[in-house]
Amino acid sequence: MSKSFDFLPAVKNREATKLLPWVMAIMVYLSALAAAGSLLLHSGFDDWASSLQGRVTVQVTGEDRDLILTQSLEIQQILRKTPGIRSVRILTDDEIFVLLEPWLGAGNITDDLPVPVMIDVETNEDMYVNLDALESKIRQISDNVYLDDHAKWLSHFYDLAYTVEYTAIGILVMILLASVAIVIFGTKSSLSEHKSIIEIMHLMGAHDQMIAKAYQIRFMYYGLKGGIIGVVLAFVTVLGLLNLVQNISGGLVEVPTLPYMKMSLLLILPLVFAFLAMLTARITVMRELGRMV
Amino acid sequence: MVEFKNVSMSYDKEHDVLKDISFKLEPGSMHFLTGPSGAGKTSLLKLMYLAHRPTRGEIMMFGRDVAKAERQDLPKLRRRIGVVFQDFRLLDHMSAVDNVALPLRISGGTGAHINEHVEELLRWVGLQDKMSSTPSTLSGGEKQRVAIARAVIRRPDILLADEPTGNVDPEMAERLMYLFVELNKLGTTIIIATHDNSLVKKIGAPRLHLVGGKLLHIEGSKKDIADYITARKGLNE
Repeated sequence: MSKSFDFLPAVKNREATKLLPWVMAIMVYLSALAAAGSLLLHSGFDDWASSLQGRVTVQVTGEDRDLILTQSLEIQQILRKTPGIRSVRILTDDEIFVLLEPWLGAGNITDDLPVPVMIDVETNEDMYVNLDALESKIRQISDNVYLDDHAKWLSHFYDLAYTVEYTAIGILVMILLASVAIVIFGTKSSLSEHKSIIEIMHLMGAHDQMIAKAYQIRFMYYGLKGGIIGVVLAFVTVLGLLNLVQNISGGLVEVPTLPYMKMSLLLILPLVFAFLAMLTARITVMRELGRMV
Repeated sequence: MVEFKNVSMSYDKEHDVLKDISFKLEPGSMHFLTGPSGAGKTSLLKLMYLAHRPTRGEIMMFGRDVAKAERQDLPKLRRRIGVVFQDFRLLDHMSAVDNVALPLRISGGTGAHINEHVEELLRWVGLQDKMSSTPSTLSGGEKQRVAIARAVIRRPDILLADEPTGNVDPEMAERLMYLFVELNKLGTTIIIATHDNSLVKKIGAPRLHLVGGKLLHIEGSKKDIADYITARKGLNE
């Protein structure tokens, strides 16, 4: 195998490849945003879903406040005796008001508003609870009792989460393919620019691998430089957006916390793009040189 | 060392620039390649430095038919050939030292001994003050000397030179020819394409004379003109 040395001239201002690190920076920036968005939403979905999993909400409605309170206490007793249920707690009025406030507005909950009684039930994760049977049992106390295990909502949210994730993966793949195309154009442009140098190198006995190595190192550097710039800009953007969302959410929407460990995976993006640029440049150069004598 | 057997070559697959060329050069020999402009001297050299493949015939070099050599075998063969191009073909972004060191670096050489060797050769061709200069700051003659130094630095088995003294003064031309003769004495086979009849006569090496893509052997220098006129007449008819 031939040793490598950089025989290529420094990139001149007029050369197309001069812009390549910046194009790579944009590509990595977009990739990082897509990946970060996906990770953030995934993390938010996970937090929300895990807070709902293993929980059942029993709602007792009715206009007679005393009656539904009595019924709630009876239901609480039944629930506490049911195997597989870890805890049962009737929510206080204040807790219910906090839940309703984002929808009705502060101070709009009047005494005559038929606010239901809500019972928060926590089930054991390692025990199965037949919720249909349980609902039938507590319905014997009142027809206005509703049991919600959030399964329907969770299913919708999982559908959304998967769609967002697959979309993000699709965007990433498209950006990677576009990056490959850009590197191919850049490499061919550079080969054309340095055709006479390559001919001389060939005539003096340089192997294709030696020439390709000079190109692949140069394009790896472009990928790495662009990648680092892109990832830094993406992190700044994500942190800025999260800050803005926190400022306007006002408790209506729970802002997902930044999953720092997962987000740190984005730091490999510059390496991925550097490797991709290197590999693409090598394959392109080897194919182009293969057409020469 | 070098044997052409019925070699023809064309750039467009229609018009042969070299027609049915056959000759054999012994190892360690020195030859001039002469002929008018457009006779095919550069094309013949291109075949020898493996920049082009013939359309027909065999080219035996280093004990094999290089016309049919696999592409991956060419670098190894090319490293045994030194070339002085008519247009120098120096790398403009490199200094004289780096240009001359290029063949050694391509062969895998590294370290201080390369520069030492290169600087010694550049001093020998009178460019001790121009070692760090880039080709754009050198005169035609200086570029030519850098090109020659680059061609001989690796002590090639075959040295091909296309008008190597075209841009230098007579004194430097003689000095460079002396370098070629010395290399030849060390066993390098040398082929020099030139228009300079005085140089051919002075060195007295046999020459290959090309006219219109055809080769006429002219051994020695005495009957050059007579044979050349005869050949031209034959071609015109």
